Amino acid sequence: MNAIHRRSLLAASLGTAALPFGPAGAQTTAMTAAVYPGGWDEALAAVLAPRLRQQSNIAVSFDPLFAVDQIAKARAARGTPPFDVFVLDPGPRVSGIDFGLFEPFDATRLPSRGVLPDGYSDAHGAAVAAQVVGIAYNPTKVAKPAGWRDLFRPEYASRLGLTGFGTTFGTISLIEMAKSLGGSEANMDPLFAELRRIRPSVAAVAQPAAMAGLFQQGQIDVMYTNTYTVTLLRSRGVPIAFAVPETGAAAFVTTMHIAKGSRNAASAYTYIDTMISTPVQTTLAAAPYFFVPVNKEVTPGEDVPMRSIAEISNFVSHDWAVINPLRAGWIQRFNREMAG
Amino acid sequence: MQENGVWRLALPLALAQALFFLAPLMLLVGTSFATDENLTQASLRAWRDMLGDSFNIMSLLNTLRLGALAVVATTLLAVPLALLHMAAGPRLKRIILLAAILPLLTSVVVRTFSWIVILGREGVINSALIWSGLATSPVALLQTEPGLILALTQIEMPLMLLPLIAATARIDPALLDASVSLGGSLLRTLRRVVLPLALPGLVAGATLVFASAATAFISQSVIGGGRLNYLPAQVWQQAMVVFDWPVAAAMALTLMGSVLMVAGALSLLGRGARHA
Amino acid sequence: MDGVRVRYGQTLAVRDVTLSVAPSEILALLGPSGCGKTTLLRTIAGFIRAEAGRVLVDGAGIDHLPPGKRGVGIVFQSYALFPHMTAAQNVAYGLEARGRPKAEIIRRVEAALAAVRMDAFGARRPGALSGGQQQRIALARALAIEPSILLLDEPFAALDRSLRLDLQLEIKRIQRRFGVTCVLVTHDQDEAMSMADRMAVMRGGEVEQVGPPAEVYDSPATAFVAGFVGTTNRLHGRVEAREGAAYRVRLDVGATVTAESPRGFAAGDRVLLCARPEQLALRPAEDADPAAWPARLRLSMPLGPALIHDVEAGTAELKLHQSRHGPPPPPGPVRVALLPGARPSLFPASLSPEGDSA
Repeated sequence: MNAIHRRSLLAASLGTAALPFGPAGAQTTAMTAAVYPGGWDEALAAVLAPRLRQQSNIAVSFDPLFAVDQIAKARAARGTPPFDVFVLDPGPRVSGIDFGLFEPFDATRLPSRGVLPDGYSDAHGAAVAAQVVGIAYNPTKVAKPAGWRDLFRPEYASRLGLTGFGTTFGTISLIEMAKSLGGSEANMDPLFAELRRIRPSVAAVAQPAAMAGLFQQGQIDVMYTNTYTVTLLRSRGVPIAFAVPETGAAAFVTTMHIAKGSRNAASAYTYIDTMISTPVQTTLAAAPYFFVPVNKEVTPGEDVPMRSIAEISNFVSHDWAVINPLRAGWIQRFNREMAG
Repeated sequence: MQENGVWRLALPLALAQALFFLAPLMLLVGTSFATDENLTQASLRAWRDMLGDSFNIMSLLNTLRLGALAVVATTLLAVPLALLHMAAGPRLKRIILLAAILPLLTSVVVRTFSWIVILGREGVINSALIWSGLATSPVALLQTEPGLILALTQIEMPLMLLPLIAATARIDPALLDASVSLGGSLLRTLRRVVLPLALPGLVAGATLVFASAATAFISQSVIGGGRLNYLPAQVWQQAMVVFDWPVAAAMALTLMGSVLMVAGALSLLGRGARHA
Repeated sequence: MDGVRVRYGQTLAVRDVTLSVAPSEILALLGPSGCGKTTLLRTIAGFIRAEAGRVLVDGAGIDHLPPGKRGVGIVFQSYALFPHMTAAQNVAYGLEARGRPKAEIIRRVEAALAAVRMDAFGARRPGALSGGQQQRIALARALAIEPSILLLDEPFAALDRSLRLDLQLEIKRIQRRFGVTCVLVTHDQDEAMSMADRMAVMRGGEVEQVGPPAEVYDSPATAFVAGFVGTTNRLHGRVEAREGAAYRVRLDVGATVTAESPRGFAAGDRVLLCARPEQLALRPAEDADPAAWPARLRLSMPLGPALIHDVEAGTAELKLHQSRHGPPPPPGPVRVALLPGARPSLFPASLSPEGDSA
């Protein structure tokens, strides 16, 4: 009981006042979880939070932050975690591990861990969603591209929206392009040479967050992105389709981690466990959320080019321990190569 | 009692400034001279990376030029509007003032994103150009510096117009009559009477527009895109993606120092011109 | 000015005014606010276009000329000195606008500043000058362009009362020396009286009377003029009979007096008799003269060498102005009569419904 933070008590009493149908007499505990702004924020608040409240009497409040912002905020807090649970893509996840921002993760404390494929939980955290990255195009404007190489052909390049190494999907797309041009995970030179060549003709070079808007406005007709964005844009009436490159779509998982020094570790495990549970994953995989589930019992949505998460091993994957040290240099180089 | 009491009124603000501005600023200075954000070891590396790198210097110069061009564009539009406001009747005066304030009532983010809709390939301007036959294929506006300046002109306009109108509204209409009755042409009246008296407003507006346009991170990244490099986006990238806080700090301080220097020069210019 | 008419929207601000100003003369346009005097001045200056009528200088129309080409110098009510220029720069402004050679400008600025005795203040900005000094600079600026007409718009309104007389004298002296024709707009009758060679009293966009100040004061053309120029006591009555050039009037306060008037009345007409404070005298209460009427002295107030008596006669309130001899009389019942030889004015009563401005 001593461990319960003052803020938790306050949140708990407020929660009890607001939701008087919790199990009678039981102590409500409160916790804070970082969540991506936008789709994730809405989805988790609508699906995960009420279930957690009802089943486990945990009142979760969300702190909407992009992955890089979560890392920055946790580092700036210097030991007092601003939230209990991170949600991160592979790049920031490796950064978080390097900076020692996570509590050691004990997967045996997840009762539902059996629904996850092997290797989807480790000593740092557990996967809660997958992302499948490939090429998105406007079928009313351009033909379906066959693969990453096609993006450098004039008819695609002039309609292409480029984004740099600032995000996980951007980074792995660019790596895939480098590979298709004869480079590798560690050799980006062929990619930068080609980017330099098409730079004057590409339709846009933009921040990742601006890509969907540019596509919607017709400024660009080709971009690299995940299936989630494609499904979401199409549900809003944007003509968009997902193309699996001939070398295969890339896949990665989004993971959750417990913040170093969290005082709500028990609630945090319950939170992650509820997140991967079959009912929650089923709801999140359907409209209007379109998550790619990591739960083996849940069937992914129609845009996702797999029938079960078990197939994810067929997809292209990347070693972020190799990528991360090189990434800062790529970011700088992308800025410079695309400038002017 | 008044003598003692008055400065106390400023105390809460002074404390807040010390706590929330001065202290973080000192931390920023400290970080820029360290090897990492924990200030474990002093180092000039960050400043070398910032000032010794031609790309970063180019980004800085681009940023300052963007601010300057935004000042020029807003000035060219705001001065005639302020003159119209001077000459207008009370009804038109209210309309002009409302039009000047209206953009402030929507967030910068909304204003910025609406410029995508206006400037895009299939945007309002290009649709009009192609429909009218003035262009056969879409003109590149989005992600170009002219497009960005166009958008910033609209976004920053209130910051120029409001101080300017505040200054011109204080000009005694009798001064214009006096100039005209003494034989001053319209041009001479504007140049010798109206502009010198409006100059404090113009300088205030230019300072605000410059500082705001040079640091308009959202507009610069969303409308300008990745091919135009400005320092605010570099700061963000260094701090949030690369995690090189010392370099981010050095960049932020360089930007802040440059903007302050320009603002200082503007205010000197304003004072000098008034006394000339 | 020949039949000048100015309209603001639906209202006529100036109704067909015809006025002439003689060379080197000061003409005062006097009237309450809203009477059209400032509008008329601005029409002369060229800031307002007349709907009808013409403004002529030396017989030539100037209506088509812009303000700067009319040869008109203006001293504004607020002085309208350019705050960002020194006094000398202000004075030089009109000369520079006329493209005069530099040496001439310097010479004439010095001369103009010297004329208003401000030669020591040429380098100061208006903000560092007193109101009176600013006014002199404004005058110097208007005179530097050697105008044929000088327009003064309420030039003393912003000054302390104590300063006004000095500056009025000074402006008159400078005006005489430059020999410039001058139109002065004011709502202050004292200012008009002391400054003007002739005054035009305006009301409702029309000129009610033009003439030398003494003539306007002594023989007001209307009850309004009588009330606006100087102080007047208004007594209602009825004409009993005509007696040569004069009329015998039975006053409502209970007396019968005789007054001359150029206006024709018939016996039985209701009239308004306007008498100046110095045209009335106090009499003892027991005086039986039928030309004196009963009243009550409320208060006597010494004013320099004179006494002002505040007297109540029926519903009329009267002010009397007498030389001071000895202590003031005690308040109480008195009688009031016209002084022998006093020439009060008679007006038809119906035409002066609101002419009671003092």
